[in-house]
Amino acid sequence: MAWQFERVAGPYEGAAGGVVRDGDAVVFSTIDEGKLWRFDSATKTTTELRRYANRVNGLARGPGGELYGAQEGGRRLVEFTPDGRVVAVDALLDGRYHNQPSDLVVDRRHRIYFTDPRHPVIPFGPAIFPFLDHCSVLRLERNDRHAWVASRITFDTVSPRAVLLSPDEATLYVADGEPREGQGRELRGYPLRPDGTVDHPSVLHTFGADHRGPQRGIEGMCVDAAGNVVAVAGWRRNGPGPLVYVFSPQGAVIESHPFPADVPNKCCFGGPGLDTLYVTTGGGELYRAKTDRRGS
Amino acid sequence: MDIDLAAPGFERIAGKTPPLDQIAHGLHFGEGPVWDRRQKRFLWTDIIGDTIYQWTPGVGTTALVHPSSHANGMTFDREGRLTVAGWSQRTIWRIEPDGSFTTIASRYQGKKFNSPNDIVVRSDGSVFWTDSAGGLVIPGMVGEDMQRQLDIQGVFRLTPQGEVALVVDDVTYPNGLCFSPDESILYVNDTRLGLIRAFDVNPDGSVRNGRVFHKLTGTEAGVADGMKCDVEGNVYCTGPGGIHVMDPGGRLLGRLRVDGHCTNFAWGDDDWRSLYYTTYHGVYRTRLNIPGVAVW
Repeated sequence: MAWQFERVAGPYEGAAGGVVRDGDAVVFSTIDEGKLWRFDSATKTTTELRRYANRVNGLARGPGGELYGAQEGGRRLVEFTPDGRVVAVDALLDGRYHNQPSDLVVDRRHRIYFTDPRHPVIPFGPAIFPFLDHCSVLRLERNDRHAWVASRITFDTVSPRAVLLSPDEATLYVADGEPREGQGRELRGYPLRPDGTVDHPSVLHTFGADHRGPQRGIEGMCVDAAGNVVAVAGWRRNGPGPLVYVFSPQGAVIESHPFPADVPNKCCFGGPGLDTLYVTTGGGELYRAKTDRRGS
Repeated sequence: MDIDLAAPGFERIAGKTPPLDQIAHGLHFGEGPVWDRRQKRFLWTDIIGDTIYQWTPGVGTTALVHPSSHANGMTFDREGRLTVAGWSQRTIWRIEPDGSFTTIASRYQGKKFNSPNDIVVRSDGSVFWTDSAGGLVIPGMVGEDMQRQLDIQGVFRLTPQGEVALVVDDVTYPNGLCFSPDESILYVNDTRLGLIRAFDVNPDGSVRNGRVFHKLTGTEAGVADGMKCDVEGNVYCTGPGGIHVMDPGGRLLGRLRVDGHCTNFAWGDDDWRSLYYTTYHGVYRTRLNIPGVAVW
């Protein structure tokens, strides 16, 4: 089945970021505008939920429906509470501030895995705290005093961009690498050990390079009900162009779908049947397509 | 300390070699300096360190308030109560004679302030402050709710009748503010644009005739932040390289060179001729020839 994408919101100023299901609607962010929006699939209308979000990219739901964001501009994760506040999900890593979190996923135990790369747009305000000397996947969880504590999960990433858990939460999928010289762009599957650390990863997919430069790798992904990884990657500059991939858990490319806009950014399943794929773009748009797959 | 001469007359203010004493070191982000003429002590804040400190000559430094909700600028009101721009607390608050805390302003038209930055009290008892939004963003400086509600970053005042009024609504990032000695002019600086604006003050405390008073120059560390006047109406403002001193016509007379990033300053001691200044990491004192405008 060909997936026919239609643009349903945007373009907004700058890039659109994370997108998560919200009942029959989806919530998505526009990073440069600093806003959160709600797109209602029934009425095809978009309403502003939040402004001044300070460059929130990835969005994720917690086990109780909590809405978390990766705030690239504030070097932290935040929670958008139902009463309208923005609360810092604050925990330092061994006393040091994060880089600029870009994507996140929450497991059933309410542990938040997030990617912590750098971003060309530097954070607002005085540069008091140096960046970490690594760009890794980190994890926040509450300790027995209900305070968030951070730990480092990956020790082999160069610039992790997107993160995802398998439905059984036994595998942590990480898209690592930006389209720059000296960085590989890979989709990796890290087995999660019972103690919360990860084992050696399997490289599930690798993106290439040619005379036009490195190809753009995965920036966002979600999982379908069968446990396959649905990922958005690529650009018009080189390679096969902007694509939506469906990878098996072992990394086989089951199918791919051309995506009509450049630099797709994040994706999620939504809609009443959970069979509509929503995709945001670097051009500040929200697209959707009816698929023959269901979200988990 | 070193000085830069830019125009005749600066040596009359600074002398040839102003002395330099270190008062405190090891801060995370020094700010909020104010001299307490009643108790003959110097106070300042460490925003990231979450503390209000006091230093008494010959005695030393102790913490006065901790945690301080990341308090920023401070002054005294006409009754000698320490009055605080609450920054990430998003309120204006003061310490009563019995040591209790009172919030005196927290909202404008039902919306929370951004993050009150610096503060000054007029002779009629009204309180003026800048309301930039950095305390909703900057790592290490945020509070319990980071959701910005106001669409402007303005200058506000609390009238003697207890009403919050908007004074200036068109500043990009208001930071330091002060009155001329006769209170006929309100100076407000704009960190983002690197300039100082002047407003004529109406008897009721509103202002008119906003104009650019001075545009800061220089490439060294430092931005438009703390700002105060001496009794002759010269305007002192932090900026690149240290503290810039302008005559009442807006002409740069010279700079007091500061190692590191100068954030704010305040005159003190009985003759109001000592200039205490804060940097990210320390507090220092020099002596000048013209007294500053006394704080109540």
